[in-house]
Amino acid sequence: MTVNAAIEVKNLIKIYKGTASPAVNNISFTIEKGSIFGLLGPNGAGKTTTISVLCGLIKPTSGEATLLGLSLKNQLAEIKQIIGVVPQEIALYPTLTAYENLRYIGNMYGLKGRNLKNIIHEYLEIVGLEEHSNHRVETFSGGMKRRINLIAGILHQPKILFLDEPTVGVDVQSRNLITEHLHLLNKKGCTIIYTSHLMEEAENLCSTIAIIDHGEIIATGVPKALIKENASENLEQLFLKLTGKKLRDQIIDN
Amino acid sequence: MLRLFSTIQKELIILLRDKGGLTIMFIMPMAMITIMALIQDAPFRDFMEIKIPLLIVNNDKGNFGTTIERGLKEAKIFEITNMLLDPDVVKLKVKSGDYEIAIIVPEDASASLNSKIGNFVTKKLNEAGLADSSEIKENNFPSELNLSILFAPDTKKSFKASILSSLKQATSKIETQTLLDLFKKELKQKEVETSKDEPMRDFVNFKEINTVETPKEALKLNSVQHNVPAWTIFGMFFIVITMSGSIIKERDDGSYTRLLTMPGSYITILIGKITAYLFICLIQCFLMLMVGLFLLPHLGLPQLVIGNNIPAIFVVAVSTAIAATGFGVLVGTIFKTHQQSSTFGSVSVVILAALGGIWVPVFVMPESLRMLAEFSPLYWALSAFHTVFLNDGTIQSILPNAFKLTIFFVFTLSLAFLYTKKSRH
Repeated sequence: MTVNAAIEVKNLIKIYKGTASPAVNNISFTIEKGSIFGLLGPNGAGKTTTISVLCGLIKPTSGEATLLGLSLKNQLAEIKQIIGVVPQEIALYPTLTAYENLRYIGNMYGLKGRNLKNIIHEYLEIVGLEEHSNHRVETFSGGMKRRINLIAGILHQPKILFLDEPTVGVDVQSRNLITEHLHLLNKKGCTIIYTSHLMEEAENLCSTIAIIDHGEIIATGVPKALIKENASENLEQLFLKLTGKKLRDQIIDN
Repeated sequence: MLRLFSTIQKELIILLRDKGGLTIMFIMPMAMITIMALIQDAPFRDFMEIKIPLLIVNNDKGNFGTTIERGLKEAKIFEITNMLLDPDVVKLKVKSGDYEIAIIVPEDASASLNSKIGNFVTKKLNEAGLADSSEIKENNFPSELNLSILFAPDTKKSFKASILSSLKQATSKIETQTLLDLFKKELKQKEVETSKDEPMRDFVNFKEINTVETPKEALKLNSVQHNVPAWTIFGMFFIVITMSGSIIKERDDGSYTRLLTMPGSYITILIGKITAYLFICLIQCFLMLMVGLFLLPHLGLPQLVIGNNIPAIFVVAVSTAIAATGFGVLVGTIFKTHQQSSTFGSVSVVILAALGGIWVPVFVMPESLRMLAEFSPLYWALSAFHTVFLNDGTIQSILPNAFKLTIFFVFTLSLAFLYTKKSRH
């Protein structure tokens, strides 16, 4: 294991039952501790599958992965203690208040009592929702829900945080607040793995990126260096250069 | 334990804030119990208590008509009205539904019967050379004594047959008694004369033995005793819709995914969810029984009798609740959208309810459907409730049905588990 690695992936393959081609095809990469790693790719490229495998949601067909030295295959329970996940969906209970949602999620991580209460109120204050803590989530705007969704993933102060398009569909102010807070978390030592279709945001936020397409990693490195190497003006141009301009419509299999 | 209790708390808060869900879970079954008990009260009385309105027009001046009337009264299934009416009026009254049956005993029926039997006896004794008198009396009575019986237009054939059979039995008894009396009279046997007034008794009697030897053996299944447990079970099983909806919603909004990435087993979370819904089912059951105990008597219906074995009722309620929640988990796991799950959930529960004797008791169903009822968990639950309520059942007596319901729970959860496992990989 690389000493400074938060995540190491080796020869990871995932083939879903009933499909001919692999969703993830023999990928290997390392994410350094304390980095903000952007996993970018068009629809159906293999981003979600990769993250799902790393979170322990699905088992890989073959290959290995370690998170902070813990084997995904043998130490999943320990891994679940150190990771946080912020899904693309607003994974909250609409009829519960912001506080009730966060209390439930905190309890799931073993947090309780005054300690949990303090953590919740601290985070709500940071994201500007303290005064709405007792309001039902269903009454919140999209941006407010996204902010609560983010807190739900970081309440237990994970060492590795997976974010799946955390700013999709939110207002500029909320997006700014979320990205600012992600920087803050990162400064505190949290490794962030982030997927997004917003190239500008990824360029500004990520210290390292990997571009994945057809289940294979086609480029990896520091965004600015990659842009320069490929004679592109920005990350969006680089992305289009590498993945093509062909539309990628994806059928979502429930 | 923190994860378990927290999940129970979360589910209960969500349920209590779901007005639509609460309506489905509480208001609908309570309304169903009340409405169905009221609707089925009359048919149940007809079927179980069988107090059939009967009009008897006794034109006879002798004891034949009164003996027939006495025999019908002894049957205890008729509400008898004795009136002297014109046959056309009688016909109208039966046709209009005032009476289910009417019997018209003709004038001089007793005299006619006595005359016919007297001539028969004289003839037979003459043939045997035993009688002093050989004279056969001439009379003006018709050759046959006919009782007129009128049935309401909707009377079933089987019912008609049983009524005619009862009447035939009663008239046979009168014929035999008259025959015996006339024989005695003709033979002029002194010692027999002394016992002339002794009525002929039945030599073969039927003793009805109740299979339940308890103080409540007289309690019969009535509309309340059927509908309250039946619709309670239906309401408990209807939780499938709310529960499957909750599972699907959690899966759709990403909460399920988030929960899977959290420490600990998802089984703990599922147990928490099941426990919360089980608790709701038990509250449902309690409230529905309260409706039967306290509300229905105010609506002119009999009070629900729940027996004395509260622990047995609790065991039935818990086993029914876990079967319902298990089914809810299965439906929520297999179906992808709330629309699919609610449609399947409601239709399947209605079908299982129909087969299980919720709508109408199983004993009035055709034989083939009665066999199918054995496969409905709602039937197992209803049978268990009836065992406790009607037969003073003990925990031991309801264990077979409670066991079946528990097995159903295990089976549905196992299916859900296997389906999840298969679909995740």
